Amino acid sequence: MTAAPLLDVRNLKKSYSIGRSGLFSKRSLKVLHDVSFSVAPGEVLGLVGESGSGKSTIGRAILRLIDSQSDVMRFDGQDLNTISPVRMRSLRKEMQIIFQDPYASLDPRKTIRAVLSEALDAHDLHKGAARQPRLIELIKLVGLDPSFLDRRPHEFSGGQRQRIGIARALAVEPSFIVCDEAVSALDVSIQAQVLNLLADLRAKTGVSLLFISHDLSVVRYISNRVMVLYLGRVMEVGPADKVHFSPKHPYTAALVSAEPSLRRESRRIRLTGDIPSPLALPSGCIFRSRCPYAQPACAETVPPLQTVGDQHQSACLRTDIL
Amino acid sequence: MMSVRSFPKRMIVPSLLLAALIIIPFVAPLITAEDPVKIAVRYRLAAPDLAHWLGRDEFGRDRLARVLYGGQVSLTVAFAATTIACIIGTFFGLIGAYFRGPSEFVTSRLSDIVLCFPPILLALLVVTLFGPGAGTLVAVLSVLYFPTFARITFSEALRVTSLDFVEASRALGTPSHRIVLGTILPNIAGPLSVQYSLTAAAAITIESGLSFLGLGVVPPAPSWGQMIRGARQFMNQDPLGIMIPCAALVLTIYAINFFCDRLRDTLDPKGASSSSMDEVSKPLALADAPAIRDPNVVAVISNLRLETARFGTPAAVVEDVSLTLRANQCTALVGESGSGKSLSSLALMGLLPGAIRQASGTLQLRRKSGEVVDLGFLDARTLEDIRGNDIAMIFQEPMTSLNPIHKISDQMIEAILAHRPMSKADARAHAIQLLKRVGMNDAEQRIDSYPDQMSGGMRQRVMIGMALTCEPRLLIADEPTTALDVTIQAEIIELLQSLRQDQGSGLSLLFISHNLGVVADIADRVAVMYSGQIVEEGPADQILRDPHHPYTRALIESMPSSHEELHSTGGDRLPAISGTPPLPSARPSGCTFRDRCPIALPACAEIRPALYPSADGERAVRCLRAPEAPAGLMNHQTEAA
Repeated sequence: MTAAPLLDVRNLKKSYSIGRSGLFSKRSLKVLHDVSFSVAPGEVLGLVGESGSGKSTIGRAILRLIDSQSDVMRFDGQDLNTISPVRMRSLRKEMQIIFQDPYASLDPRKTIRAVLSEALDAHDLHKGAARQPRLIELIKLVGLDPSFLDRRPHEFSGGQRQRIGIARALAVEPSFIVCDEAVSALDVSIQAQVLNLLADLRAKTGVSLLFISHDLSVVRYISNRVMVLYLGRVMEVGPADKVHFSPKHPYTAALVSAEPSLRRESRRIRLTGDIPSPLALPSGCIFRSRCPYAQPACAETVPPLQTVGDQHQSACLRTDIL
Repeated sequence: MMSVRSFPKRMIVPSLLLAALIIIPFVAPLITAEDPVKIAVRYRLAAPDLAHWLGRDEFGRDRLARVLYGGQVSLTVAFAATTIACIIGTFFGLIGAYFRGPSEFVTSRLSDIVLCFPPILLALLVVTLFGPGAGTLVAVLSVLYFPTFARITFSEALRVTSLDFVEASRALGTPSHRIVLGTILPNIAGPLSVQYSLTAAAAITIESGLSFLGLGVVPPAPSWGQMIRGARQFMNQDPLGIMIPCAALVLTIYAINFFCDRLRDTLDPKGASSSSMDEVSKPLALADAPAIRDPNVVAVISNLRLETARFGTPAAVVEDVSLTLRANQCTALVGESGSGKSLSSLALMGLLPGAIRQASGTLQLRRKSGEVVDLGFLDARTLEDIRGNDIAMIFQEPMTSLNPIHKISDQMIEAILAHRPMSKADARAHAIQLLKRVGMNDAEQRIDSYPDQMSGGMRQRVMIGMALTCEPRLLIADEPTTALDVTIQAEIIELLQSLRQDQGSGLSLLFISHNLGVVADIADRVAVMYSGQIVEEGPADQILRDPHHPYTRALIESMPSSHEELHSTGGDRLPAISGTPPLPSARPSGCTFRDRCPIALPACAEIRPALYPSADGERAVRCLRAPEAPAGLMNHQTEAA
């Protein structure tokens, strides 16, 4: 990465304590294991993985909506690990989030005007006479009609609500947005509209996105780089097309091959067994229990991320097979 | 959800009644000029007359004045105490739920301590210590009632706090006090206001009780409890004296409870339609069902039209849908939300929700005996027998169809015994065999686990196993893989494929999905639905490789997986369909897709296209511009226009 990263995260960890196993020892459930990544200004980093991979946890940890531990977490030159609550609150202007469920993410009792104004009020933006033009600008930006401002969420369709959610995130002109499954709940035709909208906004405003999704094709289309997670560990990270079309990690390869497609003939790589419980992870490589290429050596050490190409890294010992 | 702007009709009567009962005591000077404490012993227990409508009490005081002024005291004490309890309780509840940690501890322990005391005993104790009086009463009642408010607020606020829109407010940097008061509080106002009314009613009773015992309002100040206390000694001579305050109490509490009940119904979003939720519309009995001769045909839907049964003019939600389902074949019903694909399949199960009515069309099914039945002519018992025996269904989220508190084994055995009489041990063996058939390893052990101990994929396997209990001829799968991860999704698709092949009698699968990629993997035939109609139908490979309807084409084109060469960062755009599907009540004239269609012509607004079959009869498409459309149709109409 040539430019200084906008967001830099090193060894992000998160665990939940879940009851007690002995009298004094608390059991803990690790959902993130030393995840490191960075996002450059204007870059879209895709985050893919199955349920339980910790992808949503990463988004919320960066936004400080949940507690987490990390060696480094810097955003725009500021250390998020030591930042005061007051500074953090004003920094929220720069980092925003778009949620998956367009129904749960809007307060049913607030008008669209109130939803968007809340964002502006929180940071004392566009007060007084400047408010109305800004609201109109925002609602037009996401392709909706200004007459919608005084309506309540229940009057809108899922796609329109998602646009309102995007407008709310854009209201404060952030430089970074976490899109947490932002298009997953939408119908295919609406999903394409919203993806185009996000791509246009990125081109227009230069906003960086952390694009979290389980849909590999969507992530490939929208992202510059893609990071693949499995049970809270990074399996592979690299340029979107490279990771999608010539994956270097067996897990990525299995994911891509399992994706239903109209074009490709089905040549699915079969995984054996269930995803292991996060309480009883396999030793060494956590994917080895389902990996078709696993060897005895895979149980010995946790494979580190190794460079396998330009900006392309994979955490697999078997560099010989893919 | 109650809209703030329109006052719901059902609230008018209780609100007026309650308002009248609250206001009347406070306008007492306008109603009577009498002084409620002025004693006139000469007239003690005088009967009602024109000047004293309700007569006089044991000290010759005017009863009307006493009941009105007494109401002032009783209501003031009750509402003041309830309001204080509500404010304190809500405060603790909100703080506890939003900040969690130590504040949660304080809230819950404080409530627990107060709730440990029997309420009347606590009241007696405090009044004895501090002396009777209205002030003491308010204080006692507030302490008694704040824990209920704290608990309700706490649990409701906890629910709301976990919703995305609260998280969004936090992410926006909105200060905590504004989130709590501006976002969380309005969203829990419903249950709180119901609790407020209930508590006020209870407080009136306790106030009267304490005053009756002489521990409440101090004489000679009037209160309803006081009046009952005074009149009790003369009950036999003058029953009116005790009836008046009792009537006032009963009426007030009734008004409050009446108001509460209506308020709860109004605030509960399900309340308005709950009566119709469990209702099922009956299939329509029409005599003109086409005869089915092909023994391979398992079910036929013909010319199905479904309408909304309520809300003014009926709107068609499904129109002119015809489908033939054959043995050993998978038919996929594809469409976006609201296209009518799930409703069409529910109609075939005889399970249409009460709000939807079958307006025309026939639903026929070939039973396992080979007999063809028309669902419209069957009674409810036979329909029930058909479900499970001849048709089975699996849903998107298996967790909602499995009971979380029972073991898988119990649920499966119950399902088996419901249809086939056999011993429990045999049923268990059969269940294990079914689980093995759906690819569950160590079925013998896993059958005894609870649903939450299984992964989503395993639960879906259990559901499929249960659906196969009676070897149905038709399996309806409504988005069975949508909630699953891709790797698991692929396994379930494979399982459904293999079941189709190894079921002896030839299983017919109706697969409902919005995902064209999944459909391509599993379906033999595809029917694409848009806005309540089938717009294109035919063999899956033909339809998906060479769609003739512009909607099918656009649907395939708008999937990112159809464009492996496009990339957003290179400035490429996905070919998206503009606009949104129309509501059933606002469909355009002519072709329902025309206002979003890239190739629409003026004629498309005039002709409602039929489903035109292709020359070989293999496929059909509902578009004037498709190759299948009759040649003269377009020109003729354009000329006419």
